[in-house]
Amino acid sequence: MKVRQFLICLVPLLAGALPAMAQDIPRTADGTPFLQGIWQAQSRAAFNLEDHVARHDMQAGQSVVAGGSIPYQDWARAKQQENFANRAELDPLNKCYLPGVPRIMAMPWPFQIFQTPEHVAITFEWTQVYRLIYADGQEQMYPGFEHWMGDSRGHWEGDTFVVVVRDSNDRHWMDAAGNFHSIGAVITERYTMVDADTIRYEATIDDPEVFTEPWTISYPLVRQTDMTRLLEYQCQAEVEEANGAFERVDSLWHPAPIPEANIPFDANAGADLPLPAMPAGIPRHADGTPDLTGLYTQGGIANYGLEKRENLALFPPANGVIIDPIDGILPYQPWARTEMLERREPWRGYDDPTAHCFVAGIPRSHYVPSPYMILQPPGYTVVLHERMSYRVIDMNRREHLPDNIRLWMGDALGHWEGDVLVIDSANYNGKAWLNELGDVTSHAQTVREYYIPQADQIIYRAVVSDPIPYSRPWTMEMPMPRQDGELLEVACLEDNNDLEHLRDVRDEHRAQQQE
Amino acid sequence: MKTTLSLVLCTAALAFGAGPTLAHHSFSAEFDIEQPIALTGKVTRMQWSNPHGWIYIDVENDDGSVTNWALETSAANNLIRRGWKREDLPAGTTIVVEGFRARNGTPTANIRGIQLEDGRRLFSGNAEELRN
Repeated sequence: MKVRQFLICLVPLLAGALPAMAQDIPRTADGTPFLQGIWQAQSRAAFNLEDHVARHDMQAGQSVVAGGSIPYQDWARAKQQENFANRAELDPLNKCYLPGVPRIMAMPWPFQIFQTPEHVAITFEWTQVYRLIYADGQEQMYPGFEHWMGDSRGHWEGDTFVVVVRDSNDRHWMDAAGNFHSIGAVITERYTMVDADTIRYEATIDDPEVFTEPWTISYPLVRQTDMTRLLEYQCQAEVEEANGAFERVDSLWHPAPIPEANIPFDANAGADLPLPAMPAGIPRHADGTPDLTGLYTQGGIANYGLEKRENLALFPPANGVIIDPIDGILPYQPWARTEMLERREPWRGYDDPTAHCFVAGIPRSHYVPSPYMILQPPGYTVVLHERMSYRVIDMNRREHLPDNIRLWMGDALGHWEGDVLVIDSANYNGKAWLNELGDVTSHAQTVREYYIPQADQIIYRAVVSDPIPYSRPWTMEMPMPRQDGELLEVACLEDNNDLEHLRDVRDEHRAQQQE
Repeated sequence: MKTTLSLVLCTAALAFGAGPTLAHHSFSAEFDIEQPIALTGKVTRMQWSNPHGWIYIDVENDDGSVTNWALETSAANNLIRRGWKREDLPAGTTIVVEGFRARNGTPTANIRGIQLEDGRRLFSGNAEELRN
């Protein structure tokens, strides 16, 4: 302990001068510093990177900029000051837009770093944002397009993880005080562990269009030792629930009771279906466990209906993805089927959470029309959904969160049964829809999922037990084909031109009902 | 995945296949399959956004006036993976599209692909590919 305190004292004086001094830090088997864990910035930088006094909406704080102030060009300083004066109206974060780098790193929410030799992923509690940092030396696959969170490529320089962020758009700010950069900015981050529980974070912003010279910020990231896992803060969903734009569903959201009129739920009904066979040639890690790492795409039409069906408007007939019950029809309670059918009406389209750009929940996240990346860092299976949400499956924890903690994405615990990844999840909040056609889920849902590895795909099976809308468990199964390419970014809310149309259709219907 | 354009010979109809555009919202809640529409116009702007890209075109009406239409495609990421490039749609490009009008009466339509003046067709992607 004394050694650790000594290092903390020395670091501000010697930062960068003694790159090999931090011996008392976790490392991987090959000696690389192991950044994995839950962290949070210890800084006022989210309010203002520069020296600032308190305002009604911000704490006072000292500058995190080396040299004290940001070397703006004159026009750019004037723009920043205008931003500051009008921040309540102009700050993109007040609209829940993606914060960009480096702002996301300083915000007062915890985040989790996951580390493999090829990737570093950072998942943030704030609105399920994540960053995927390619650390395998691969060149950017789709250059020429800007992203809210930029394109991040990382490499190790001694004990420091260096990340170069390019192709950030210019629609976000760097703090709540209106500091900004242009599309051409190159941001170089440096993550250096100074002891087991502290990362020194630095970021250098090089942007000749806005600044007279490159400049650097730094502050500590501190390990959060009091958390079982990250929870959720869904910015826009919280705003819309508070202002009534997204309406509460008492019959499905936590803590809805099981309706007394329900057909009693038969938890034991259903076939005990054998798992599909696994070929010998599946990819494996060095320790023999199946290597699921890679990009996957939705392989089924489940987003447009789970059940077997005949022609439906533009949708062709489909066999559906339900394998139990064997007739391919969901075992709905009668009232829940009525609700599902009503959700197909145009005026109910507004009620689908994904139309608002909220997260898709489980199992829907597997079949929204966007790919996802699976990583297997030590102790976890992490699924990064391109549609800006993620799921962390804890491979060691065996007990779910307390029953009163409810999440859009649930609480997922994983284990291996032979070569099959088995995931048990609970603690849902019941706010999701199961697809665009409105198949129903509630907070009472528990799910057992199977990731069944194949050579070029994973077969996905989910057994859903939900005693509120259904009379017995049901099982869906679909392929998740591997695909080449890199994960991109879906910033959904930021350019969601559709919601206004959907609201118009709903409001017109409601007006007609009242006449 | 290769990022080359898939070039398809021009046929009489655009024939981008059945099925709604891949979306994050119910197709029929926003667009009306009873209102199919065919438009020819000049691109004024392409918005490379998610969850949908938007192409804006000026269309000349019968009375000589001009309406700027908003055309919804699938996600920009989907277009990028299909090989669409920024250079494909500079302002002023004439394109032909077929789609369905928005229910709320605004000059908005959902399209599944476009045809360029040189006959090249760019497909935006739709749910029929997921048929099972």
